[in-house]
Amino acid sequence: MDINLAQLREMHARLPADLALVMVGRAMLALERSGHKSGVPLSLDLERILSSGLLIWPGAALSELDQHDYNRITEDGAEAVVLAVAHRHRAWCIVRRMQREEYADWLLEDTAGGRRQVVALEVSGVDRGSILARLGMKLTQVAKSVDADQRWAGVVGFERPIMALHSTKRRKRGS
Amino acid sequence: MEADSLNSLVTGAIWRAEQLEAHNIKSAPQAWAEVSSLEEELAKVLPVSGPEGRIARRGAVRAALKAGDYARAEAMAGCYSAEDAAPKSLKTELAKILEEDTRAMARRFRYAARHHSPREARDLARRFRQAGAFGLAA
Repeated sequence: MDINLAQLREMHARLPADLALVMVGRAMLALERSGHKSGVPLSLDLERILSSGLLIWPGAALSELDQHDYNRITEDGAEAVVLAVAHRHRAWCIVRRMQREEYADWLLEDTAGGRRQVVALEVSGVDRGSILARLGMKLTQVAKSVDADQRWAGVVGFERPIMALHSTKRRKRGS
Repeated sequence: MEADSLNSLVTGAIWRAEQLEAHNIKSAPQAWAEVSSLEEELAKVLPVSGPEGRIARRGAVRAALKAGDYARAEAMAGCYSAEDAAPKSLKTELAKILEEDTRAMARRFRYAARHHSPREARDLARRFRQAGAFGLAA
């Protein structure tokens, strides 16, 4: 499965165009500063089902690297990758960004089951090393989110491109 | 305005406010004021019975506090809590948001908090805003 970051805006119509550009730009920088080129294999762990895909992007200008905050490249880059994969694999679409006190970065909608459900999604990126500890931390965080039908955390590791998308147990709305 | 357009706008506004705050840019509170205003508009079009309506209501109050506008946050929390369909959980959360901000203020101004409660300080600020400097003497 190909995941083309350049299509992020088409996947998520409510994502402002300027924001999509920044996020995709930072994802490209995060990948290229780790030595990857467009078409790199991405290992996927979607609810503990392992698969892989090819991550495609139009190409970054590494000369711009110094203009961006190092950590923001990792975090915003991870958001672009997770949102693209969430759309390709689950057909989720962004509803809106949430303030950090809601314990999730994004609110998405899942219409796959016929009934619209809202999904709280917390995202993070890891520049080097394992993503497991961060994933556990983010799942604990998003579990506190109220008013969502589903709670998920997505973490991207850029060293050897890998992405995990896991859910907490389903809870009743508002509980 | 439709909820979809407002959702796009609030997404961009939250993103900008977060970036400004992360870089300690002075205009961050103004950016949060814009977020609060957009959340308030969303709250008008989304019912409190739905999850997105409740998220918008909490967001409007929180963003007003981040903008440093306690009076607006308090007024909105009062309005949203008074809505007929507002669930008890939302009322509790709104009260908690205001309480947390009050505690944060007391921690920030420890010496002043020994002499005046945050409620007294805010009441004074509200009267000052309403009546102007000479109004306090009246």
